[in-house]
Amino acid sequence: MNSQTERVDTRPVNTRTGKPIGPISQPGYYPGFSTLAQQKFWDAKTREVVLDRVINVPEIRFFSQQEARLLEAICDRILPQDDRDESHKIPIVPQIDRRLYENSHDGYRYEDMPPDREAFQLGLRAVEEIAQHEYRLGFLEIGPREQDRILQSLHDGKPSAAHEIWKRMAVHRFWMLLVSDCADAYYSHPWAWDEIGFGGPAYPRAYMRLERGEAEPWESEEKRYQWKAPDSSVSGVFEPVAGQAEHLGSPGQGGTH
Amino acid sequence: MKSPILGEFHPPSGKPHMLGSIQRIETPMHRFSEAEEVDYVIVGVGAGGGVLLQRLARAGFRVIGFDAGPFWDTERDWVSDEKGAHNLYWNDMRITAGEHPLAFGANNSGKGVGGGTVHWASFTPRLHPSDFSIHSTDGVGVDWPIPYSDLKPYYELMELELPVSGPSYYPWGDPHGYPYGAHPMGGVGDALIRGCTNLGIGVSAGGPVAILSGSRANRPHCIYRGFCIQGCKVGAKASTLITHVPDAIENGAEIRPNCMVSRIHVGATRRVTGVSYFDSDGRACFQKAKAVIVAGYSIETPRLLLNSACPGFENGLANSSGCVGRYLMAQAGNVVLGRFEELVRMYKAPPAHALTEEFYETDPKRGFARGFAIQTVGPLPMSFAKQMMVAKGAWGWGLRSVMMDYNHWAAFGFLGEILPNADNRVQLAEEKDRLGIPIAKITFNLYDNDKKLIEFGKNKTMEVMWAAGAQEVVQEARYAHLVGAARMGDNPETSVVDQFGRTHDIANLFICDGSIMPTQGSANPGLTIMALAARAADYLIAEGEEIFKPRTRNIRKPPMRRDLSPPDTWGHGMPRI
Repeated sequence: MNSQTERVDTRPVNTRTGKPIGPISQPGYYPGFSTLAQQKFWDAKTREVVLDRVINVPEIRFFSQQEARLLEAICDRILPQDDRDESHKIPIVPQIDRRLYENSHDGYRYEDMPPDREAFQLGLRAVEEIAQHEYRLGFLEIGPREQDRILQSLHDGKPSAAHEIWKRMAVHRFWMLLVSDCADAYYSHPWAWDEIGFGGPAYPRAYMRLERGEAEPWESEEKRYQWKAPDSSVSGVFEPVAGQAEHLGSPGQGGTH
Repeated sequence: MKSPILGEFHPPSGKPHMLGSIQRIETPMHRFSEAEEVDYVIVGVGAGGGVLLQRLARAGFRVIGFDAGPFWDTERDWVSDEKGAHNLYWNDMRITAGEHPLAFGANNSGKGVGGGTVHWASFTPRLHPSDFSIHSTDGVGVDWPIPYSDLKPYYELMELELPVSGPSYYPWGDPHGYPYGAHPMGGVGDALIRGCTNLGIGVSAGGPVAILSGSRANRPHCIYRGFCIQGCKVGAKASTLITHVPDAIENGAEIRPNCMVSRIHVGATRRVTGVSYFDSDGRACFQKAKAVIVAGYSIETPRLLLNSACPGFENGLANSSGCVGRYLMAQAGNVVLGRFEELVRMYKAPPAHALTEEFYETDPKRGFARGFAIQTVGPLPMSFAKQMMVAKGAWGWGLRSVMMDYNHWAAFGFLGEILPNADNRVQLAEEKDRLGIPIAKITFNLYDNDKKLIEFGKNKTMEVMWAAGAQEVVQEARYAHLVGAARMGDNPETSVVDQFGRTHDIANLFICDGSIMPTQGSANPGLTIMALAARAADYLIAEGEEIFKPRTRNIRKPPMRRDLSPPDTWGHGMPRI
């Protein structure tokens, strides 16, 4: 059994060189591309909102210190950033905390789910209970692979413990709530846009090269490299959520058509 | 850091109310007193309410448009940012239930003047003639009280007023052309055209979308920045906020934003007398009116009618049929995602820019009634990440890795007709909102025909994506749009309103939004809602003072008023109608 004392490399690996990647300031296939470098071309309101997101990381006000530490460990596995250097890690827990503190939500709740605040608190308790049940240790004390296995069991809809809690909320709905919140925090950050080559705000300047995936003069060309998840992780593979029942009712429903 | 040649971009100096990058509101807005009995109160200034407000004001009626959300200043309030657009949606709590529950919020509801048209992708196809009689021809759903021919002139008029860009010959349904030219293709449109062409499927490139392909009056043409559903700061995408509301104000209408109507009052003569509402400070107020038009869309409209229950109307207003809240529909809206070897960069160009309606009509060989459309969509990173979470089960390093391929993916939206069912419905929950108003609980299930249609349509959409040359194709089940829940019909025992939106039960209470649609076809509902609103307006204007008198209830087709369009409707574009 792994413990914190055992050194495990949690960085992804470049499959050509066999060497770990990072920590670096900007992973991804668009080295040097910076959406923030374009901020003078954005309208004032957009600039204000995006810069606020980067500069003003909210304090933890909803979660207790203990809950925040646990959630931090979970988010480090759901959106691992071991390839990013310390000054370029994208804050996730503070964004989730702010949303819950302000009681902001997407305008609906599934009948089989408690309100989001309660769902998060129950979910954290459940993760801790599973860790105790599986390893007789806290989630913070087990290794990354063991942590991943617990999260994988939620993803699969087959947690080994905390059944009282899962009677009060559906496992797959909690899983999607958790991953959605992490994804919202990460992919709303301009550093993540740079990582994936998303051009970001373009008003009033516009895009002019619409076809064939061509880059604007101020965008970067893709420079791919092959990489894989570290051996310490099980999240590098793709498996359907909970066996992918039709119409799980996904929180990804927002904003396409 | 490079800078623009003329310096950084700042909003216009001074504080004009901007609607798009050029249009500003110059006219001071009229303010009616609460004690004054206005002619019409419209509850909700969205697709339906916005058009109706503009028509009634132009015809000289004293009219107030209430909206629960803000009166947007597009420069000051909106952003080119996915997360920052969160406040455009109806984010008050709703409970969603059933075996196949619907999502709300960003998916299908707006809050603020312009309503959902503020964040629609603005695909504006018409319904097909067959949509108006699916019970007669296919034995499913219900027939409309009007044929396509009654709505056709209003479709044509709305396509000019917005206006709609698209091909000069659109082959499906009732073939027609569009007044503004088709848009150039983005990467997703290229994929749809390639896929359809390889399979011999007809496809429409560059529309129909309510986005300017050429400038018009005080609105510039599209700049292809891709943030359509986050609110168009450019002013190229039509919304009633920028197309109809300015003209309504110019003609004396009042917009009362941030005001949540909580109850419609009924007087001794079984006629409505006005509305209770909470103003922006949360103060309880009352506005007198000779007639009330509810235009809150498929959840808030039935919620308000049910919450207005009173002695004599114990089950809610206009609900003697028991149909208020029932026959709620959403369209099946599976997103099919394909990864390509080459780059796509789907964030550029409007998400809506190409589609096919080749599978719209019933084909007996398929084993189910009605059909579907396939359209381009262009999810931005946050939405795409969640689609990958569901469609591929991605999380952890898997999510990071597939997101690094964002620029290689294209997305199609399948848009399928789900049939009306009495058990798909809006009811009141025990829970109350911050104003103490009971919230809506929505129950939704898919039935046999729906499931067969979705299975077939999803597979067909995936087939098109493969045919476009994708290396990998995955999909996410979801819904798009809402209609129904206060349907129109000739029979007061099985419907809530007549063909002009007048409730069968109360002569001076009307409904004018998507909730009155008896069926939905596979067309995005926005244009149809607007066409119905323009037709209802012509009726109200033709009837004039008769509406406000007890006992009169005529069902006669009004003359069409082509003189009530907003300025700049005529003399632009090249209509082929």
